[in-house]
Amino acid sequence: MAETADIVVIGGGVIGSSVVHYLTRLLDPSTRIVLCDRGPVAGATSGSCMGHLMVTPDSAQDYALTKTSVALWRQLNEELGGFDYNPTGALYLAENDEDQEMFAVLQKQFDENGDRADVLDAKSLREVEPGLADDVPGALFYPGDGVVLPMLACGALLRGAKRRNPNVCVRSYCGVNGFEREGGRVTAVKTERGVIATDTVINACGVWAPDLSERLGEQRLPIYPRAGNLAITGHHVSPIRTQLLEISYLRFAHAASDVDPTGTTNDRGGHAVNMQPQRNGGCLIGSTRQFCGMDKDINRALLERSLMRAERYAPGVAAAPIVRTWVGLRPYSVDNHPLIGPWDPVKGFYIAAGHEGLGITMAPITGLLLAQQIAGVAPEIDVTPYLPARFVA
Amino acid sequence: MSELVIDADVGVVGAGPGGMAAATRLAEAGLRVTVLDEGARAGGQIYRQLPDGVAASVGILEPPSHDHGHLMTRGFEGAELRRVHGATVWDAKPGRLWFEHEGRSRLLRCQRIVLAPGAYDRCIPFPGWTLPGVVTAGALQVMVRGFGVVPGKRALVVGSGPLLLPTVTALLGAGVEVVAALEASSRWRALRAAPGVIGNAARRREAVWYMKQLWRHGVKLQWGWTVFACEGGDRVQRAVIGRIDGQGRPKRGTERTIEVDVVGAGFGLVPSTELGLRLGAEARYLPERGGHCVIVDDEQRTAEPSVYAAGEICGIGGAEVAAAEGALCAAAILRELRGDAVAPAVLRAARAERRAADAMLRAFSPLPGLSELARPDTIVCRCEDVTRLGAQQAAEVHGESMRAIKLGCRAGMGPCQARICGPSLQAMATGDGACVMDRPVVQVPLKAVRAATIQNAPEAC
Amino acid sequence: MSGRLPGVGDREVIEFTFEGAAVTAYAGDSLAMALWAAEIPAVRGSSTAGEPRGVLCNMGICYECLVIVDGETVRSCTTLVRAGMNVERGGLR
Repeated sequence: MAETADIVVIGGGVIGSSVVHYLTRLLDPSTRIVLCDRGPVAGATSGSCMGHLMVTPDSAQDYALTKTSVALWRQLNEELGGFDYNPTGALYLAENDEDQEMFAVLQKQFDENGDRADVLDAKSLREVEPGLADDVPGALFYPGDGVVLPMLACGALLRGAKRRNPNVCVRSYCGVNGFEREGGRVTAVKTERGVIATDTVINACGVWAPDLSERLGEQRLPIYPRAGNLAITGHHVSPIRTQLLEISYLRFAHAASDVDPTGTTNDRGGHAVNMQPQRNGGCLIGSTRQFCGMDKDINRALLERSLMRAERYAPGVAAAPIVRTWVGLRPYSVDNHPLIGPWDPVKGFYIAAGHEGLGITMAPITGLLLAQQIAGVAPEIDVTPYLPARFVA
Repeated sequence: MSELVIDADVGVVGAGPGGMAAATRLAEAGLRVTVLDEGARAGGQIYRQLPDGVAASVGILEPPSHDHGHLMTRGFEGAELRRVHGATVWDAKPGRLWFEHEGRSRLLRCQRIVLAPGAYDRCIPFPGWTLPGVVTAGALQVMVRGFGVVPGKRALVVGSGPLLLPTVTALLGAGVEVVAALEASSRWRALRAAPGVIGNAARRREAVWYMKQLWRHGVKLQWGWTVFACEGGDRVQRAVIGRIDGQGRPKRGTERTIEVDVVGAGFGLVPSTELGLRLGAEARYLPERGGHCVIVDDEQRTAEPSVYAAGEICGIGGAEVAAAEGALCAAAILRELRGDAVAPAVLRAARAERRAADAMLRAFSPLPGLSELARPDTIVCRCEDVTRLGAQQAAEVHGESMRAIKLGCRAGMGPCQARICGPSLQAMATGDGACVMDRPVVQVPLKAVRAATIQNAPEAC
Repeated sequence: MSGRLPGVGDREVIEFTFEGAAVTAYAGDSLAMALWAAEIPAVRGSSTAGEPRGVLCNMGICYECLVIVDGETVRSCTTLVRAGMNVERGGLR
């Protein structure tokens, strides 16, 4: 089957779906865009993750990236809807004095970025979240965070794209085997269902992004899988209605890892509470992290810790029926920042991958920044720290 | 029961005919046997008993084959083995069965496992099937024979396969008027089952008994008919019934409306394979045997050498198959542990019963056209309230597989873990009634249990 | 419309409440069957739309018959009645 496309996006998760969506906003509706995924849309990480829309205030750059992206999610909800968008805010819970000292640090960070988070004492905390244990001394409430259901978001983004541009073609169960190149340019994508001639390709393959780049004949990208165990309750049993995180989550999740990400057996893994209410009244319980290669077997020790800690903050968890547990793989980039932009050694080849636990948050800004770079439009925010060029050997 | 950890030589899952046959023989041979069963009493679904100490003075009408079943149950209840009722198994590995029982998290440790977890009703969505009062055929039998509850005044029994008849007779015995009894298969297709029935004395006796009951109560089985829709408010009040063609497709224009207050729909059974798969068994998709079935060798051993399987989990076959295969499991285990030879008669019985059951089921193989009963606004995933249209729209974007549909609309992600919607969902959304089902996802917990149960699991890691 | 076979009532009577109203049952009944016999086939509100739902499989597979017993969501078809239980409709109220 000989075929031509203007752009081929590889990877039908939230990043690939967002890239397709924003391309249709910036490019002419005659642009032929093909999205390929070797499985179903949202079939990998985006179908096995939490849905946190998280604003990170620790640096001005990261704040700009996440804050802008969360605002884009709000806009997407107004235009598209259909992905259980819920502006829950985030409650960062303290357990002890050391935790409570972090509140001031965080508040200052939000403040420096022109934003605001409020410290809640034990009493007002329970007005916001009645399901909390009696002995939680306090929390920091940041209203700007939210929750979405990522698998539905992929569908919404692609439907929105197809409505703007009838030349968008979504091909699930169509894996990519390789590429054709002429020296320093990509000229075609070889799929399970035939060759697509194209001069623009986007690698949005998450934890498989290194594999895909290798098939192009390029070096493996420094993106490594970081497993997370999750559990979800039955419906209408959620003990919480806001989103809970424990304050140590920030340190644990978003600092650069102090464990070697390339190892597969030397990380016992860790956990910090993140719990999200679902539209059907259930509760999604996480969040663990462990570098163990592509292993998707449940880590029972981490799962039990996760449930125990969830119960510590929301005692109603103990009696809640658990319907399912599973493992998702976050694509951890070695310098803790995503790759968004051209892969300079191969003209026409772009990367949009490596978001670790902020993939859902950053999907819209990633799609927009990449689409802007392809369209030759000035990027929304400074994209320099995310350029893949930093990893070219 | 106070222990959180139990030790046994053999752990048996299920106290229906398969589990009872295996467990009783193993106990008789002197092995330490523990049986885990989700029900309140032994018998499984087919040999449901009233609560302990309760007897109905009238109204429990059962076919001749059930006499043997109740005898087997008495034998099991008197045997020297440990019965744990109300146990929900939620995880397993060879030699280990984790279960929730009386609100506590417990573990059974054993050398061998026999799986006889049975089957559940295959559900076909149709408009109004979510109304209270519309239940499965199996549910009606449980109501009458398991609890002595009269399901209603006027019943519709509908579906396909051998289970329809005991459902009808259970209702008749309880004094319920069976307004219509509809078998989806055509009469001539059902004749294919005749050789198996005629050639076997027990089945002949059974068939004659059913014919007599239907005749006595003035009930006629209608062939090539099914339910098109149910209507009502807080409970079903009416059913629209009509003819279907040889493929099961509704013949619109043949509808009639009847007044009913209870509907029992039974379109065959689906094997419960999840626990087997979790333990390392392999499965194959055999549509005539109900769907994905665990594969066993000629001594009922699965791909995991210490795990055996009997009855419905290996393919729908009924009580006699389960009992014969359960007996074979016991014989095979005794050979392994004691060196006792497996009696040729035991081997022969298991094979013969399975062959006879397979022959019978060919007459009632699934009719793909029944997937046309659901309208775009018919709920297809009851847990998540997803309609047929929602499932189709999910398939259009995410892909044409059960997994893709789940991701696109959450169908199959609710507490029933896709047992109810799985068999119908993929065929419907892809428009291909013959589409092969995705293999069931093996996940923990195998059945929903409390978070505290998972957290407090003995010896978990 | 619903009721019981003769003879099955010869056992201990158990009283519980459903949505605040008293229900009479017998030892060995499941909650679902006690409610069905008491003309209450709808025991749950469906997850999204809150539509009336009740027993479908009656054997612990389908999770349609969920109710809340003393604060915990359980399958009413596998839960036996106990004196003094406070039962509420499950699902979306």
